[in-house]
Amino acid sequence: MQLQKEGKKQSGGGPELSIDSVTRTGSKPKIASVRKTWSMFWKAVVLMGFIFPFLWMISTSLQTFEETMKFPPTWIPASLQWSNFVEAMSSGPFLTYFKNSVIVTTSIILIQLAVMIPAAYAFAQYKFFGNKILFGMVLLAFMIPGQVTFIPVYLMLADAGMIKSLWPQILPFMSNAFGIFLLRQYFMQIPQEIVESARLDNASEFKIIWKIMIPMSMPAISTVALFSFVSHWNDYFWPLVMTDSEAVRPLTMGIAMLRETEGISNWHIIMAGNVVLVVPILIVYLFASRQIVKAFVYSGIK
Amino acid sequence: MNNTRVWQKLRPYALVLPAMIGILLFVVYPILYLVKLSMFKYNLLNKDKSKFIGADNYTEIFSRGDFYNALLTTVLYTVGVVVITMALSLFIALWLNQNTRFNALVQAGIFTPHIISIVSIALVWMWLMEPNYGLLNFALKAVGLPALPWLQSSSTSLLSIIIVSVWQNVGYYSLLIVAALKNIPQTIYEAAALDNASKFKVFYKITLPMISPQLFFILVIMTIGSFKVFDTVKIMTGGGPNGSTTTLVYYIYEFRTTSIGYASATGVVLMAIITVLTFIYFRLLSNKVHYQ
Amino acid sequence: MAAIEFVNVTQAFEKNVIIKDLNLKIEDGKFTVLVGPSGCGKTTLLRMIAGLDRQTAGSVLIGGEDVTDIAPGQRGVAMVFQNYALYPTMTVRENIEFGLKNNKVSKEERNRLVESISETVGLSPYLNRKPSALSGGQRQRVALARAMVKKPSVFLMDEPLSNLDAKLRAQMRIELIELHKKLGTTFVYVTHDQVEAMSMADTIVLMNQGRIQQEAAPEDIYRQPNNLFAAQFIGVPPMNVGDLGMDGVKFGFRPEGAVLTAERTDSHFGVRGRIVTREMLGSETIYQVKTKQHAFMIKCTEDQFTVDQEVFLGVDASKIFFFRQDEHRIAQDDVRHAAYMAALRGQQHE
Repeated sequence: MQLQKEGKKQSGGGPELSIDSVTRTGSKPKIASVRKTWSMFWKAVVLMGFIFPFLWMISTSLQTFEETMKFPPTWIPASLQWSNFVEAMSSGPFLTYFKNSVIVTTSIILIQLAVMIPAAYAFAQYKFFGNKILFGMVLLAFMIPGQVTFIPVYLMLADAGMIKSLWPQILPFMSNAFGIFLLRQYFMQIPQEIVESARLDNASEFKIIWKIMIPMSMPAISTVALFSFVSHWNDYFWPLVMTDSEAVRPLTMGIAMLRETEGISNWHIIMAGNVVLVVPILIVYLFASRQIVKAFVYSGIK
Repeated sequence: MNNTRVWQKLRPYALVLPAMIGILLFVVYPILYLVKLSMFKYNLLNKDKSKFIGADNYTEIFSRGDFYNALLTTVLYTVGVVVITMALSLFIALWLNQNTRFNALVQAGIFTPHIISIVSIALVWMWLMEPNYGLLNFALKAVGLPALPWLQSSSTSLLSIIIVSVWQNVGYYSLLIVAALKNIPQTIYEAAALDNASKFKVFYKITLPMISPQLFFILVIMTIGSFKVFDTVKIMTGGGPNGSTTTLVYYIYEFRTTSIGYASATGVVLMAIITVLTFIYFRLLSNKVHYQ
Repeated sequence: MAAIEFVNVTQAFEKNVIIKDLNLKIEDGKFTVLVGPSGCGKTTLLRMIAGLDRQTAGSVLIGGEDVTDIAPGQRGVAMVFQNYALYPTMTVRENIEFGLKNNKVSKEERNRLVESISETVGLSPYLNRKPSALSGGQRQRVALARAMVKKPSVFLMDEPLSNLDAKLRAQMRIELIELHKKLGTTFVYVTHDQVEAMSMADTIVLMNQGRIQQEAAPEDIYRQPNNLFAAQFIGVPPMNVGDLGMDGVKFGFRPEGAVLTAERTDSHFGVRGRIVTREMLGSETIYQVKTKQHAFMIKCTEDQFTVDQEVFLGVDASKIFFFRQDEHRIAQDDVRHAAYMAALRGQQHE
């Protein structure tokens, strides 16, 4: 509803309209304005198509079982059933799941940054024997998905006795090939003279990375970190194939398992669990959507 | 003095070493291991009882109907997702291209599902697609159309999965296309206007060629991404009904404990497909899209 | 304080030889300008002094010591780049003291140095700003301050003024001359602009295609160019050159070395011509005069002629240069010099 209102407010005088009314003459501005409202309306409809499922999820999570089984559906629950959340969260060790998600995601990001920044710097700054072959391996890693390698990786880590720990969800991601590639591109855009100035200022290579390259590449670095965060926080496939006990599973798996623990038709409970998984990210997105969108666009166009 | 020279030579290798260890350990070595496994009848409980059987696993793959079924399902899924997402995101991008706050809001809204876990998205859509109490069927009935079985029937299950995937990703790709559109210098359009070009011609002769590298990039990403589809299938259908949504990765997943050698051989086939696709694409890329 | 010496230096980048067997001595405490067209190897020389590129063969000496294996930061040199290369994420203060910090200078000492340097170059009010908030001229000063604060024994500058507008450039030239006088250190300055070279240098090193063409004080290089390249590179407009028609020898004279008159006068070399273009520059006027065989640029302090006017062009014997077929200048005491003089006289008023 709120979105609709915004739409109307905009139709009063957007930059589009003013251009239209300048270029058209006579009675045409009226037609243009009608067309504009019409297109606004359709845009709002499309927008609802992407937002509504989330609203519906929230509504369902607060309904009783009987309300969910009604036809036509219940739009707004008669009384808010907060107990659904309690039930969802008590169906499994969700605190553990949450903790695991946090540990895995932060460890991945920290390790990746520590590994990727020096590598990207070396690939951007130095010509050394074999650099093309090594960079080719980075591209190979970029191309081969976990869906291909998960069986041998599992066997390998099982042999190492790690399956009962969180390492299988962290270690395989230590080298972020995409991040190395993206950062290398970014480092190469930094004028060589700045690095040379630092060398003349007697800065060690470590200091050049730490004091010059990292501060200058914050947009790229935060993009990579954000990307990593979103994809590993949301990951389902990898923990599914790497874990065999509740103690090491992340939140996504816990939620996915609600259907088994709570029964497939208890949608109000399943949606309550789902809200717990989704809403934190939605809130972050609400406040930082511009930066997040920018980061994703940036990473998408090389 | 000499030590510093040696260190200068070694420094690049030291800097890339951790990254290379990660790649060797978790990409290169697993690939070799995968190929090795694919030639064994692997015994998970007692490795010593694993038997080398050469290419037998591959012979089996190519003689089994369920493999071809999984391959066909994956191809259908990929074509469906790529075509629909491409068309929709191009349309949306052109539609929302103008720089207004409302357009930015709609773009941000359409993009939202992309940053949400596929687990949540799958669950929400399962609820929407619930045949008896789900909202989609309610909507269909409300406008006088027959209800659909969605995920419950082999005739609609794959389409349902495709819809979810398109819904999740169309916002991301339209954002990329909008960014590409914004990179086209305004002066080119002004020149075209002075040359009295029609709207259609401007689109075909200027807009489309100018964003073709990005469209191509999107095509590559989408195809390879679609080929490894798994999560939606696992959560929403479990490969069914009747194997109608068993994709290649799900197929591999099903065999991962019972028959590791066979699953590995299928993994090698999947890797080969992805490699071939990548090479074909980049071959085409160097031939076709090079206006710059 | 340090003199710089190149001994049989060769520099090649992947078989592309930029400089071959070059020998050069840059005097201690002098303002030396390396000048030449782009791609002549002048920047390559500078980067070898700084240690940013390692020479393929030969050695580079600073203060008599071979610095081939010494890292750039430990050579006691400072460099100002064409694009200034300021650290964009650091404030002006941090930019200036970065080198001091790396050299483990104490905090009090650092503060004292930064204060006094920024006072000198007039940056005191901007110490806490980021470079992006400064004008082009101010950034230039930060780059200078950053170099000066290290008290280097050699000051390297790579076209530092080329990003400034003409007015600021002229002002900075004067400031650089004063700065050099005050510091008394070795300055090595690279430019493609012969005006900068002429106005600032104690010694000009003129280069072309990786070779040194001439190494001399500005007035010497102007009055006694070694060869045709030096004669035509230094001076605006460049020296007028014509064929003598004998032994492949060319003659030449500076644009201000000729006199234009409406009536025929008696000078060593004189021809009739027509004025084709006229550029009135204020204090002087430059005419292009077309004669039967050549087109000459003539610089006059008075503005007496109009386009299409017939004029007589005269050059004194003392203003005339001769160049051999291999483009070297023929000295006045050369045995053939008199003969060529006579031959030129013979072409009178053709």
